[in-house]
Amino acid sequence: MKEIVRKVITIHVNGKTYDIPVGTGRYEMPESETLSHTLRDRLGLTGLKIGCDQGACGCCTVIMDGKAVTSCMTLTMDCDGKTITTIEGLADRATGELDGLQQAFLDNCGYQCGFCTPGIIMTAKAFLEEHENPTEEEVREALAGNYCRCGTHYTAVESVMAYVQKRKEERQ
Amino acid sequence: MKNFGYVTPKTLEEASGLLAQPGAAAMGGGTDLLGVIKDGLLPSPPKTVVNLKKLPELSGLTEREDGLHVGAAVTLAEISENETVKAKWPALADAARSVATPNLRNTATLGGNLCQDIRCWYYRYPDILGGRINCARKEGHLCSAMMGENRYHSIFGAAKVCETPCTGKCPAHTDISAYMELLRAGKVEEAARVILEVNPMPAITSRVCAHFCMEGCNRNTYDESLNVGAVERYLGDYILEHKDVFMKAPEGENGLKISIIGSGPAGLTAAYYLRQSGYGVTIYEKQPEAGGCLTYAIPPYRLPKNVVRSFISALEAMGVKIVCSCQIGQDKTLDEIVKASDSVMLDTGTWKRPLIGLAGEELTRFGLEFLIDVNNYVRERPGSRVVVVGGGNVAMDVAITAKRLGCPEVAMVCLEQRDSMPANEEEVARALEEGILIHNGWGPKEVVRTDGKVTGMVFKHCPKVLDETGRFNPVYEEDNVMELQADIIMMAIGQKADLDFLEGAYKIETERGRIKALDGCRTTEAGIFAGGDVTTGPATVIKAIASGKEAAISVNQYCGLKELPVEKTARLRLHEKLAAFDTRCRGEKEAVKSPMLEVHERDMDKEDLGCIAPELAKGEANRCFNCGCLAVNPSDTANMLYAMDAKIVTNRRTISSEEFFGIHTRVQEVLEKGEIVKEVIVPYLPKGAVARYDKYRIRKSIDFAVLAVAGYYRLEDGVVKDVSMVLGAVAPVPMKMKEAESYLTGKKLTEETAREAAEIALKDAIPLAMNGYKIDMAKVMVRRFLGF
Ligand SMILES: Cc1cc2nc3c(=O)[nH]c(=O)nc-3n(C[C@H](O)[C@H](O)[C@H](O)COP(=O)(O)OP(=O)(O)OC[C@H]3O[C@@H](n4cnc5c(N)ncnc54)[C@H](O)[C@@H]3O)c2cc1C
Ligand code: SF4
Ligand code: SF4
Ligand code: FES
Ligand code: FES
Repeated sequence: MKEIVRKVITIHVNGKTYDIPVGTGRYEMPESETLSHTLRDRLGLTGLKIGCDQGACGCCTVIMDGKAVTSCMTLTMDCDGKTITTIEGLADRATGELDGLQQAFLDNCGYQCGFCTPGIIMTAKAFLEEHENPTEEEVREALAGNYCRCGTHYTAVESVMAYVQKRKEERQ
Repeated sequence: MKNFGYVTPKTLEEASGLLAQPGAAAMGGGTDLLGVIKDGLLPSPPKTVVNLKKLPELSGLTEREDGLHVGAAVTLAEISENETVKAKWPALADAARSVATPNLRNTATLGGNLCQDIRCWYYRYPDILGGRINCARKEGHLCSAMMGENRYHSIFGAAKVCETPCTGKCPAHTDISAYMELLRAGKVEEAARVILEVNPMPAITSRVCAHFCMEGCNRNTYDESLNVGAVERYLGDYILEHKDVFMKAPEGENGLKISIIGSGPAGLTAAYYLRQSGYGVTIYEKQPEAGGCLTYAIPPYRLPKNVVRSFISALEAMGVKIVCSCQIGQDKTLDEIVKASDSVMLDTGTWKRPLIGLAGEELTRFGLEFLIDVNNYVRERPGSRVVVVGGGNVAMDVAITAKRLGCPEVAMVCLEQRDSMPANEEEVARALEEGILIHNGWGPKEVVRTDGKVTGMVFKHCPKVLDETGRFNPVYEEDNVMELQADIIMMAIGQKADLDFLEGAYKIETERGRIKALDGCRTTEAGIFAGGDVTTGPATVIKAIASGKEAAISVNQYCGLKELPVEKTARLRLHEKLAAFDTRCRGEKEAVKSPMLEVHERDMDKEDLGCIAPELAKGEANRCFNCGCLAVNPSDTANMLYAMDAKIVTNRRTISSEEFFGIHTRVQEVLEKGEIVKEVIVPYLPKGAVARYDKYRIRKSIDFAVLAVAGYYRLEDGVVKDVSMVLGAVAPVPMKMKEAESYLTGKKLTEETAREAAEIALKDAIPLAMNGYKIDMAKVMVRRFLGF
């Protein structure tokens, strides 16, 4: 009897678990694949964007085990067993209701074309999980690696601050 | 991105073993490496990427007695957020926090930050957009930043990352940029000595060499090659004017006897380097005077005989014995020579006429023989209508000599087209200027004779000289002919070696009529060496010189002695860490021109080309870019760790900051294959010291430093007791400002001393066209670092 040893990695994305076979076969993932491609091309999560593919624009940001990471500069092989959230995973899974931070971007014109927005929101999301009451300066610092081609940086920060304010009020 | 395998070793040994394999690359966070691979910057994409993040030895951030131990796989985010680091090494936390973006810092490691590749935009230009920019740091040799966009490049000179193309093209690999640099610094004698490391007779080569170096010069891309020949000639003449300084007899004899047969450039070169070491050297020459082709082939208007004699007399003054009019094989046998010597070198050249089986060939004259006669002062006009067959430098010498001896009509005929003639361009130009006709694309068919005398020559058309593979394989059109009238025909289509003297007595193998030379100029007979044309066929003086030096080294090894003095000098020569140049070099578009006699002033014995004045030679040296790589070090943490004198611990050894950061411009030059950075040990700062990391960049995040200052200082009653200062992004390596540090030590820190320290730190800066601002800005940053 022949036994075939298969290499598989497991990632948990937006609440679902995926086993991804690794190898050089047709449907297998090459070991050199970056997370951005795995998420977009294999899992169909095209919310994250590949802008520069060099770690410089932040459009590909996702949250991995609570930290915002640049998925174009991360090998999927390094994500075995990790929990990942992409922009698609923010809304309430049952109702489809947007996350408060997403709503704040809608309410405050936080974007124009929207290409960079998933990255900005994911960076801000991870940051706000760890910082209850950040100042605007701290938010700017946190978003410093996210670039917007349309120049919406100000309204993006405003949107985040509006959400911070709203969250504070709600929690009180 | 080209696919690669990804392995996660469990132990350091396993990782090291994997990395020692060809095609393996180490990876920390991958934030640099993945970009490098995506843009195809490596000579070939890695086959295996080795993940270092799971190695226990590379993790951990702990405070110990000797300071802070940071594992190489610790992320920059961890370093910048760690409470101990923030409390006791806050400047290191700042440096880590200044790197890239918050998200990248979550995965980027310290080891990766220290070992990252540079960020020059030419270098990082992606191949997929219009092709690869093969700069000096890749497989090329030109740094586009020198004349191009350079606002973020070095203000302290370049790193020598490849052999400069001028040196690469020179058969003797003369370190041209090094002697130009010394000449700029006014060190004429040292500059001359750099040439003497590979070539004992620059006065000669500067006059006769085709200057292959100049073809390679990077300035050709922009304006005009450096006139290396003119500068070399200045130094060459300087050497001959001071031969007692440069060509000294050895201090003692080593008792070994070397015989050299033939006194051409290869033999003379070997004699020079061997004699320096104390060998008893005897040269045997069949002609009445030494020098071989230098004396007998090259006409005096190109190479005055007094230059050759001056060099040979200097060799004799060193104690080299030259026995002239002694033909081995006739006056003495090879056997006698070999028996009486510890080693023998053969440099007998190519002096024999090759016959090509042409009808009437016996009535033609061998061009080389004609040149020998002329050099023996047989100065007769050879005829009135001269046809020279051949298109190389010897043919040129023959034609021009004939013309200058008064032949009214001189025509040259060669197979090659004008632009691919083997003669140098200047020689072709000189011939045309002097009224010599050149017929290109014709090969000899028949000598026309009347009453046993030459009256002309018939040529057949040759449309193609080389075949598809680039080999010499001319195609002729037998019916397409041209007849030239002539009363003398000179054949200059090659020369052969005369090997009769070998007498078959030794096992010296020959190959296509030449002595077979193995590496190191060895022949197949132990102890007998050979160099120059007799091994290569007719080549060039400088190639012969290169083989002469190689032979000298081999002879010395054969005799079992330690390195030759010349090898030692070359090895010990101080190489400046950073290659400096004159900031004005960019604008000096035109090369200096050596004075040349007007056509009507030229004759056989006056040298056509003159010397340039010493100031002009120095001026030309100022044009040299001193080619290297102008990219700056990219790592922020490197600046800070160097300033704090951290130790870099690898799986094999502990490396000082100075060595790890301060000397090499590529990590591959510091780390051996399979060597991994394990951790960094940051010592405690002196009690009471203030440490800072200041980084200037255009955008707060992502941007690499345009400038950075890292360091600390400690005051006692306002007086500087300790100070350490590193400037980042100003040079290919972080620059420790040692002079400014020693200036400050012991002084009261005031606005004035801070200002002076800044001036000292930047005094040797050499700005490029667009980055002069960095100098002013760096001064301000140094002052601010010191609190003013
Ligand atoms: C957009 C962007 C902006 C950036 N800005 C800055 C900046 O401002 N300042 C700055 O300093 N850097 C900057 N960087 C570079 C960044 O800091 C480095 O990419 C990062 O620190 C490298 O860490 P890494 O673990 O990801 O390295 P990797 O990419 O994993 O490795 C980099 C190199 O180091 C080698 N290597 C890694 N670990 C070891 C080890 N332990 N032993 C031996 N060799 C090793 C690898 O083989 C590779 O050649 C920037 C990068 C990007 C993409
Ligand atoms: S600075 Fe260095 S990396 Fe940049 S173009 Fe010049 S040689 Fe290449
Ligand atoms: S500029 Fe100077 S170093 Fe560069 S190729 Fe020319 S001669 Fe050599
Ligand atoms: S695409 Fe990943 S940072 Fe730009
Ligand atoms: S909204 Fe268009 S790129 Fe940011």
